[in-house]
Formats: sequence, C-alpha cells, structure tokens
Amino acid sequence: MASVILRSRVLTPKYLKQCCAGISTSVSRYSDDVEVAVKQREAPLIRKELALLNSAELEQKRQHEEGTITVDRPSNVSVITGVPEEHIKSRRVRIFMPAKNAMQSGTDNTGQWEMEFETRERWENPLMGWSSTGDPLSNMQLQFSTKEDAIAFCEKNSWPWFVQEEPPKKEAKPKSYGVNFSWNKRTRVSTK
Amino acid sequence: MLRITAQKSLAGAKVSPKHLFPIFSRSSTDVAKKPEKIEVFIDDKPVLVEPGTTVLQAAALVGVEIPRFCYHERLAVAGNCRMCLVEVEKSPKPVAACAMPVMKGWRIKTDSEMTRKAREGVMEFLLVNHPLDCPICDQGGECDLQDQSMAFGSDRSRFTDIDFSGKRAVEDKDIGPLIKTIMTRCIHCTRCIRFASEVAGIDDLGTTGRGSDMQVGTYVEKFFLSELSGNVIDLCPVGALTSKPYSFTARPWETRKTDSIDVLDAVGSNIVVCTRTGDVLRILPRINEDINEEWLSDKSRFAYDGLKRQRLVTPMLRDACGELKPVDWEAALLGVGKVLKAAGGNITAVAGGLADAEALVALKDLVNKLGSEAVCIENSFPLDGSGTDLRSSYLLNNKIAPAEEADLVLLIGTNPRLEAPLLNSRIRKGYVHNETEIAVIGPKIDLRYDYIHLGEDPSIIRQIENGQHAFVKKLKSAKKPLVILGSDTLSRSDGAAILSSVQSLSRGLQDEMCDPEWKVLNILHKVANQVAALDIGYTPDLSKICESSPKVLYLLGADDCGITRADLPDGCFIVYQGHHGDQGASIADAVLPGIAYTEKQATYVNTEGRAQQTLVAVTPPGLAREDWKIIRALSEIVGAKLPYDSLEEIRYRLEEVAPHLTRYGCAEAANYFCEALELGKKTNAPIDTSPLDVKQKTLEDFYMTDVISRASPTMAKCVAAVQKQNLSKY
Repeated sequence: MASVILRSRVLTPKYLKQCCAGISTSVSRYSDDVEVAVKQREAPLIRKELALLNSAELEQKRQHEEGTITVDRPSNVSVITGVPEEHIKSRRVRIFMPAKNAMQSGTDNTGQWEMEFETRERWENPLMGWSSTGDPLSNMQLQFSTKEDAIAFCEKNSWPWFVQEEPPKKEAKPKSYGVNFSWNKRTRVSTK
Repeated sequence: MLRITAQKSLAGAKVSPKHLFPIFSRSSTDVAKKPEKIEVFIDDKPVLVEPGTTVLQAAALVGVEIPRFCYHERLAVAGNCRMCLVEVEKSPKPVAACAMPVMKGWRIKTDSEMTRKAREGVMEFLLVNHPLDCPICDQGGECDLQDQSMAFGSDRSRFTDIDFSGKRAVEDKDIGPLIKTIMTRCIHCTRCIRFASEVAGIDDLGTTGRGSDMQVGTYVEKFFLSELSGNVIDLCPVGALTSKPYSFTARPWETRKTDSIDVLDAVGSNIVVCTRTGDVLRILPRINEDINEEWLSDKSRFAYDGLKRQRLVTPMLRDACGELKPVDWEAALLGVGKVLKAAGGNITAVAGGLADAEALVALKDLVNKLGSEAVCIENSFPLDGSGTDLRSSYLLNNKIAPAEEADLVLLIGTNPRLEAPLLNSRIRKGYVHNETEIAVIGPKIDLRYDYIHLGEDPSIIRQIENGQHAFVKKLKSAKKPLVILGSDTLSRSDGAAILSSVQSLSRGLQDEMCDPEWKVLNILHKVANQVAALDIGYTPDLSKICESSPKVLYLLGADDCGITRADLPDGCFIVYQGHHGDQGASIADAVLPGIAYTEKQATYVNTEGRAQQTLVAVTPPGLAREDWKIIRALSEIVGAKLPYDSLEEIRYRLEEVAPHLTRYGCAEAANYFCEALELGKKTNAPIDTSPLDVKQKTLEDFYMTDVISRASPTMAKCVAAVQKQNLSKY
C-alpha cells in the first residue's frame, strides 16, 4: 500500500515555470513581420542540473520538489511514536464490530468497526477500591468506518491484529399481529 | 478434510438429473410466486417492502428506529405499550407501528409534531406509574425507560400527588433464585410473558387484574423454572426483572465487556463477559443468528460464580504422607517430568470436555512424542466402522439455525432441552411457527412441546430403518426431516449398531431430499470441545485405559470419566491439569493448575463443527497458567520439546492438523456420509434390548454438569429451587 509523506515546503517549483516560458518579447520587437515575430519562439531554457536526466528521473525530481514523494510500502510510525516496544510486539489487537447490548433495544454504537487490545491484569486499588491497571492501551477506544481502515491503522503502528468477522445477519420476516388470534395455529396466544 | 468444489460435485454422478429437476423447477416457481413489493415512504425516504411488513419493520429497513417497549423482534407482536405510535399522512389518529402492516403509498412521519406528542403522552402515563428509584435500580444505565424518557419524554410532570395517596405499588414476587422482581417498576410490556409462553414453552407468567390493578406474575406462588429463564432479565425494558446474583453489584458503565464463547454446553453460545477489577460480574448473551440468536441458557449465564470457587491456584505434588502439598512450578514440572520420562512411553492421556483445542493438540503432540498413541476423551463413542475418522458421524451436520425450518424432527436418545437448550428453543420455534412435528425414541421427558413418543426400545430404530414401523410413512412424507441422535446413546455398548442404523435410516431420507444442503443425520454432543478433540485425533475408547495398565495417566480437565484409583494398576502416577478441584484433582498425584474459559484466548468447536474462540476477560488466579503453555513447558523438561512458543505458532500447528480449527466463525461441513454408512454396515452388530436412556431427565439434572457449574452456589440454589417446587402443590 502506498502512503504519502509530506515534505517541507521550502522548495518551490520555480524552474518548471522557466522551462515552459512562452514567447520572448524581444524577438517580436525587432522583427519586420509582426505575424512571424509573434509566432517566433525562443529555444526553451535548459537547466544544466536537469539536462542529463531521463524522463523517470525528471518525474521523480518534479514530485520531490512539489513537496510529496510516494513510497510503495506501508509506512511504519511505530518507530517514532514513542510507544514502548513491549506495547507493540507483545500486544494483540482485535478488530470487531460491537454487538448490540442484549439488555436494551437500542442499536446505537453498533455498525462500525472498533479495535481493542487484549485484556491485561486489572486489580482493585487498595486506596479507594477503584479499578487499576498497568496497561496504558486498555482505554484506547477507536472507531473505524471499515475494517480495512482499522487494519491499516494497526499495520501502521505495527500491532499484530486479527479480525473477528461480523456475525451473519438475518432477513426479517414480516410480523403479523393477527397470528396471535389464528384459530388453528400454535401461534395462538393463550396467556396474556 | 477433503472438500469437493461445487463444480466437481455438480459434474459428478452424485446428483442424478431426477434430483436436479425439482431444484430448478422449484426455484423458478418461487420467483413467479413472489408477491410484488410495495412502496412506502418513511420520513419521505422511499422503501420497498414485502406486503404484510409492519410500519416498524419498514422503518428499520431505512435505518429509522421507532421507540418501543413491548415490541421485540423475536417475540409475537403485542401492541400494548403504545410507545411506537407514529403519524401516517391522511390518517386522523396515530398508528401503532409495531402492529400495523403498511399499505401502498403510505407516508409515515416518525418525527412529526403528532408523533412526538403521542410519545410524550405515552411516556408521561408510564412514568406516572413508575417509581423514581433509578438511583437504586439495577437496570440504571441500561434501561430503555430511562433512555426513552430522556429522548422522547416531557421536561416536566403533571403528576402531583396532593393527597399523598402514593404511587401505584405492587407486591414483589418470588419467582426463583435467578430473577429478582421489583414489580412496582413493571410497565406491563408483557415481554416476559410472551417469552415464557413462546420461547421457553412455560405458560407460568401472565397478567391478572385490569387497569391500575394489573399485575404481571404467576398468580399462585410458584417459581418460574425454565432452562432459559434468565433471558427475561434481558428482555425486561425496565428494572422489574433483574438478575438476583448480580443485584447491587455494578453499573454497566463501570464494567468492561469482553466478547467470548460459552463452553458449558456444546452449542457454543456467543457471550459477553462483564468484568471489573479482575472479577467476572455477569455474563450476557451476544447476538449470533447462527447459534444462539440472542438467548442464553441459565447454566451459561449464571454459573460464573463457580469460577471463583474450588479453583486450583498452585501446583501440587503428593508427598510421602499421601497429601497434596503446594509446590512451585519448577518443582511440579520437574516432578511430573521425571515420572513421564521414566514411564517410557507407557502414558495415557484423557481430555475432558472443557479442554481447549490448543491444549488438546499440545497434549497429543507431547504424548505422541513420548511414544504413546493413547490419547482419549471422556465420553466413549463407537469405534467400529468408520469410527471417528469421518466427521459426518459425529457432527450436528445440519447446523443449529436450520433446525427451526424442519417439518419433522426425530429425537433419538437425547434430551435437547437440557443438553442444548438453545437447540431446543429452535425446535420449539419450528413447533410454534412452522407446525413442526416432533417424535422421540427414548425415555418420556418434558421437552416443553408436544411430541409423539415412539417408545424406549432401541429396536424401533431398526424397524424404522427397515420400513416396518408406522412412523416411516410420516418420515417419508416430510420435506425437511431431521434426525438428532444424542451422544448418550453412542456411549452404550451397542452404540455402533445404533449409529449405523441411524445413518442408514437418514441416508434413506437424504436420498429423497431435493435440497442437497439439508442434512438429515445429526449428532448432538453435550460437552463443549468434544468435536475439536475428535477432529484433532483423540480416540473415544476410555474403557481400554485400564486394560493398557499405564504408568502415567494424564488427565487434562477430565473429571467426569469415572476413573478411580481402583481401576488403575498400582503405582500408576496420575497427573491432573485443570482449573477446578473436582473428582480428577482428588485422585491425582500431581496437580498442574490450568485456567478457565474466561481467562484464556482459546479455540472451541461446537457440536455443529463451528470453530470459535474465547477471549481473555480476566487474569488467571494465583499461579495458574494457560494449559498449552504448561504442556509446552513440560515438554522441554521431558526432553521432547514441542515446536511452538506463541499462540500464533500453536495455531499454525492446529491448522496443520485440521485447517478448519482456526477459521473462526465458520462451520466446516462434513462429507462422506455414504462412505461412513458403508463402513458402519460392515460391523453388523445387533442392537441391545435395554431401553434407551438419557442422563439428564429433569430440570434438576440440568444445572450442575461440569466442574464450573458444580462449584457454583447459584446453580446449587437452582437445584434446591427445583426440589422445593416439586414439593409445591402448584
């Protein structure tokens, strides 16, 4: 996967403008025929540092000076994030779709992808009886719109991950109030 | 595991043109018959729905959620809470969205002035009769009434009790050790009543009285005893029915939820483990349409307090006085390692039902490396014929979910109500909605639906197989017949003959099936990881253990095998690895503390062959360690180092042995039904005359079946409640 690294914006693409410079004003001024003079062009200005480059190299140089370069491999930010190695190599991320709470009928906070680290030890703090943990990542709650996004995020941070696929959905059958009273079916309600 | 591609199976001669014809012809008529969809507009968003769809369902299709209390997707429509009132254009009155089928061209307004006013009015009436005890209510934080009054209720109340006559108050009922009732909070949605009568099949709950005197209850003093009773706690939209063991324990926002898998029966229900500070506080079901829908059996839901009792927390070795003494891991592993080395390959391993696939494969690899092939499981299973080589003869081949579509179910020597309550709820669903007929060969048991009792004599199976029984006619005329054979039956001495007979009878029905996906033959297991053990290559011949006179017997969570010291030769060293001090640990010479399902990330395969994994919810107590890691450490000491060091590596090994074990969520289908049948026929053993029996007959036998539920005080209370109820005159 390609990722784009922004570079500093000090370099401006000045030379490119020079290369495609248009008509020289001096030529038309000194010519007899105005029509010819207008059409006359000067030889393009060739910069010596670009003269010997082939087209691929030119393209690379152009991109470079525009401020971006494309690298054809996943970027890895874990080396510069400052996350201790222990919390990169020994963690396991689960990418999942949160299930609906069985206690309620609402469906908020479902339908998106989330990531979660494996559970580490938690204990009751003797001072206040509150819950303590030594795991700085246990409270990280991130939501993603697709599982690919979540995977890309884990890859970028070098966390080993696995995806828990969403369970199958079932098509709803039309429900009917009338079946409660059907005289020859077992759906007839006896207890109210 | 060989798989045939769809192309190959189509090209092969397995499906004759005669069978292909109905498939195609049926599908074409289906298309022709399909009624035209009708268009309605929900908040001006057009949606095409099937005729008969209710307003609420149509709104759900475009992502508009209409508030409701009484309506529940899996229960019948009651239409009595009126919270789902919505405006329909050109209709003078608001309509109840849950019960009203849509008509062509209706414009439904779910956020109009009329709708909002209707909701506000309903909310006000509900709150007039609802106590303001949210701060002390267990439902607080996950209460539908709380949330919906915030979203749709009025900002002030007109309830002024100037005479101090008091709000409506209702006496609490005692309906058992699992469900706490605070009936004043009840808003009469009748979800619990509908669940009890439709899903659980127990018509004990109902309403009495009218108006403000209406009460939900059992009328006479009676426990609501069902194997699925805990689900009414989830269903209750308010705090009228709450969990007794969990009462006043925690608020939902302070617990951490870990998605996991239940291992107390062979269904593999999806669960959420709620924890705080390293304690499992409660277990809730998690929706999985293929397995448990959104229900959970009481054992799976309430046996969690057994995880804190009777735990093995430190390694132990039997000292010179014959007492188990706590030692450190080094001493324990060295002690066991020494004995294993000295045994010189004369080792037998027995795995229990709660052992995970990782531990199973590690133990098998270790025992094999030490030169023994004797790895077996607790429950015996016929080894004649194809034995356990072909998966079709030990899986619930047709899966759990399609059981509700069957039109005829034949249960042989099984009690699905207690062995797999969620499979039974599927069968009951078919019974209620699909007019399914059920027949039973085996003891007369209470399944919570009517069935035809064919008898207890196993020879009936032979008669049906040979077409001599009157029931054959019904079986032959069924479009989707299902034969479910219990694992209890297979432990009989004539298990092989019964299995082969059932295979042949199923084959006969299978050949006439139009749908090649429909599998008639099904085996129902009782313990969680039986299928994984058989897939990995454990043999089910426990009886041979004593004959082989092993020097070391390694019990991996095996507590129900019934082996005693007396069965074994003198000087046999017993190692027990597991998480509970039960029967296995009591006879052991060395105890290695393993961990329970809430503490490990491990693979379990349910009775339909679906691999799923549990996740770590809490850290193990004391010195207990992950089971496969213990075996891995032991292997190094014995000098037969196992080549895996991490969970990923051992799962590669699992994948080598059986690739489906790591395809989580997928049920790997079995094949070779015919081959299994042919091999089975060769044995040609006679069927005994002793009547078929099941171990779990009444609800009493349901609650305590494994080390976790046996250690659970809540489960003990349930057994006591059933016994008390049996003495009651109601």
